[in-house]
Formats: sequence, C-alpha cells, structure tokens
Amino acid sequence: MVEDAQVGALLVRRCIAGDTGAWEEIVQRYHRRIYNICYRFAGSADDAQDLTQEVFIKMYRTLNTYDLEKGALMTWVTTMTRNLLVDHFRRTKQDRMTDSLDAAPSDHEDAAPLSERIEDKALTPDFGVQSRETRELVHRGLQKLSPELREAVILRDLQDMDYKDIAAVLKVPEGTVKSRINRGRAELARLLQRTYRQVM
Amino acid sequence: MPDPTKMQCGEIDALLSDAIEGKLTGAQLASFEAHTQSCASCGPLFAEAAAGHTWLKSLEDVEPPTEMVTNILVATTGLDTTRLHAKFGERISWLDRAQDWADGFFTPVLAFARQPRFVMSFGMIFFGLSVSLSMAGVKVTDIRHADLRPSAIKRGYYETSGRVVKYYENIRFVYEIESRVREFKKATAPAETEPIKKDNRHTNDTSQEPEQHQERNYSQGDSQQLLASSPTQPPVVILEGTYRRLS
Ligand SMILES: [Zn+2]
Repeated sequence: MVEDAQVGALLVRRCIAGDTGAWEEIVQRYHRRIYNICYRFAGSADDAQDLTQEVFIKMYRTLNTYDLEKGALMTWVTTMTRNLLVDHFRRTKQDRMTDSLDAAPSDHEDAAPLSERIEDKALTPDFGVQSRETRELVHRGLQKLSPELREAVILRDLQDMDYKDIAAVLKVPEGTVKSRINRGRAELARLLQRTYRQVM
Repeated sequence: MPDPTKMQCGEIDALLSDAIEGKLTGAQLASFEAHTQSCASCGPLFAEAAAGHTWLKSLEDVEPPTEMVTNILVATTGLDTTRLHAKFGERISWLDRAQDWADGFFTPVLAFARQPRFVMSFGMIFFGLSVSLSMAGVKVTDIRHADLRPSAIKRGYYETSGRVVKYYENIRFVYEIESRVREFKKATAPAETEPIKKDNRHTNDTSQEPEQHQERNYSQGDSQQLLASSPTQPPVVILEGTYRRLS
C-alpha cells in the first residue's frame, strides 16, 4: 500500500504537469474498482456507469487538490466515489423502496425465476455459494441494507479495505466501522433468510 | 458483579469481525467463544454476521463495460482521436458511428429515390425538410445541450433510431435525408471537438470543498441516532428502525 501511495502521487504529479498518458493510467488503474463500488451500492449497471464517469470528471477537475500527506490516492478516489454515492442516494430517494427482492434480475447476475430457485438448497452459506442465482439474491439483498451498513460491508468484504482506510473514507471512528460491518453482515443474513422463508 | 476474566457484550462487537475473519487466537479466542456460546444476544449476532460475511464473499468483481475507459477519457480530456484510435483499435465516437450508420442505411434508398419519378418539386423538398426535422427529432440546439451520460446516450440512440425508422416508412421524404445528415455533421462537429476540460475549469469553484471539510451523511438527523444506538441492544430492532427512517 505504501508503494501504491507513491505511485499514485507520482501519477498525479505527472498529470498536473500535463502528461495525458498519466491521466489515462489513473483511469485504467481505478475504473474497475470505482465501477464495482458503484455497482454494488447503486444496484444497476447503468447507474454504475454514469456514477463512475461522474467520479472521474470530478477527479479530473480536482486533481490539484490531492495531498499525499492525507493518504493514498486510492483512499482519496474511494472517498470521492463514496461522496458521490451519498449525493446519488439523496437524489434518487423518491424512486426507491418499491421494489422487492423478487424484482427483475440485475445486469451482471441473471437470476432464474424464483420458482426455480425454491428447489435450490444453496441458500445457506455452506452450500453452493458460487451459484449465480445466489449471487443475484445477495446483490439484491445488499440493496436493502441501509446505506451506512451497505457502504461499510462493500468496502470491507468486497473491496478488502482495512478498517483504518474505511474509517478515513467514511470519516467515522474505527469502532463505528467495525460495528457497522457487523450489523451489515448480520442484517444481510437475516434479509436473505427471511426471503428464503417467504418463498417456502 | 461482572466477572473480570469473562468477556462482556460490549467487547464482543469490537472482536466480532476479527473472529469471523479468523484473526482471533489463544485466550482471546477462547473467551470470545465462551461468551458467544452462552450469550443469547451475541451468539445469534455472531452466527448471522458470519453467514452474511460468507454470502458477501461469494460476490465477485463484475466487468465494467468495455467502452468505459474511452468514454471517461473523452468526457474528461476531450477527444484525442489519434491516441484513442491507436490504443482502442477501431473504436470511434458514438456520433461518428451514428453518422456512418445513417449514411450506410440510406445509401441504397437514396439511389432508388433519385430515379426521375421520385424527383420532387422545389416546394415538396422544403415541405419534406421541415417534416424530416420534426419527425427525426434532430435539432442542432438539442445536440449541443445533449445529455452525454452513457445511459442517456444509449436511451437517446434507441429513441432516435425508432423515429428514423418511422420516418423511413414515409419514402417520399427520403430524398432529404442526405442533406440533413450533411448539415447534422456540420452542425455537431464543433460541439464534439470542443474540450470539456475548458468548461470544467470555469465551473470548478466549490466541488472540492466537501471532500476535505465536510462529513457527508445519507440523511442528517438519522446518522446521529445510528451512531448513538447501543451495540448491546438486539441489533434487529436498531436496524429495522434505521432502515425505515432512511427509506
Ligand atoms: Zn453478549
């Protein structure tokens, strides 16, 4: 991670000096990560694409404000992504909360119809967690978590960030981060178990 | 009187993720296990959090759309066509693609329409021109202020091609498309090549401020209650409340 911080700082410096190749390298380096955070948080591939582009436009405008002393470029980029997700969440508040876990399949994990999934015993974490249908259910379950819990588990369990970096991104103490991760994981398990029971 | 050698519920919350991720060892692991096996609130919480962790870990990275990097570079640095073409092969801008498609689509029709019996009077051409404008829904002003987000472009593309197909059915006016496309190209060329960068510089006033100074919350009042909620309470109650408030 120390290495990443140095590389990131160097890329930013080259970028500010007018090296467009450096900017392209930054985009290549981080677009996948940003896209995945946005996709898991916002739920749809279209939103994730728009949000990722928004992140990079904002980043491009504010590159000269990046300060290595305050943390690695990756933390800075993740913070920017997270802040735009907060804005997006507030912006789209009206459109949400009407869909259920049985809504249309999302873009990256096509789910089988629910009737076919009833037979599937893969709904306990011990069995067949790799199945596409299960992943689809987990992805939709994630959308049902409160945004504070959702972002915490995304950064920890999907992006493998350490607690210190997550605390820096979310601007809360590490203890709060841990607590949110615990509750996020537990709430997701309860949501999935509840869905399963309803199906039965 | 609490036994000082025994772990309390308050300590469990801090150790739960370490336990789930297999980082607890020795005496700490032993007393953690002793507590979660006997405590009616920490035991289920541990089991559920572990299940949730396993489920989350089953999610893999998804692949971003292939054109994403190009789109981002176009949206940020403006069009640098030679480098983009060299780097990303035959990928060209959506506007070029749309124009090529329109050209290819109408060429055989135009050859057919050029036969003498389809040559229209001067007045007819003007009539066709105005109809083609409204039916194809292509206005120069619209394009200049077009929404350039990828999803909006996708949407716009299908809407426009739908309208174009409807228009095509009205074969009398096909004769006009060629000149429309030429005008369309001419009118949009400057808008396309103008670097977005320049524009951004001017609107660059407040956007970076919140990054450094301001904590962003999903909703103001709720987050305080969320932080204040006690970890020893049954979590389901807190979460249900939080969820409803935030929704
Ligand atoms: Zn306990």
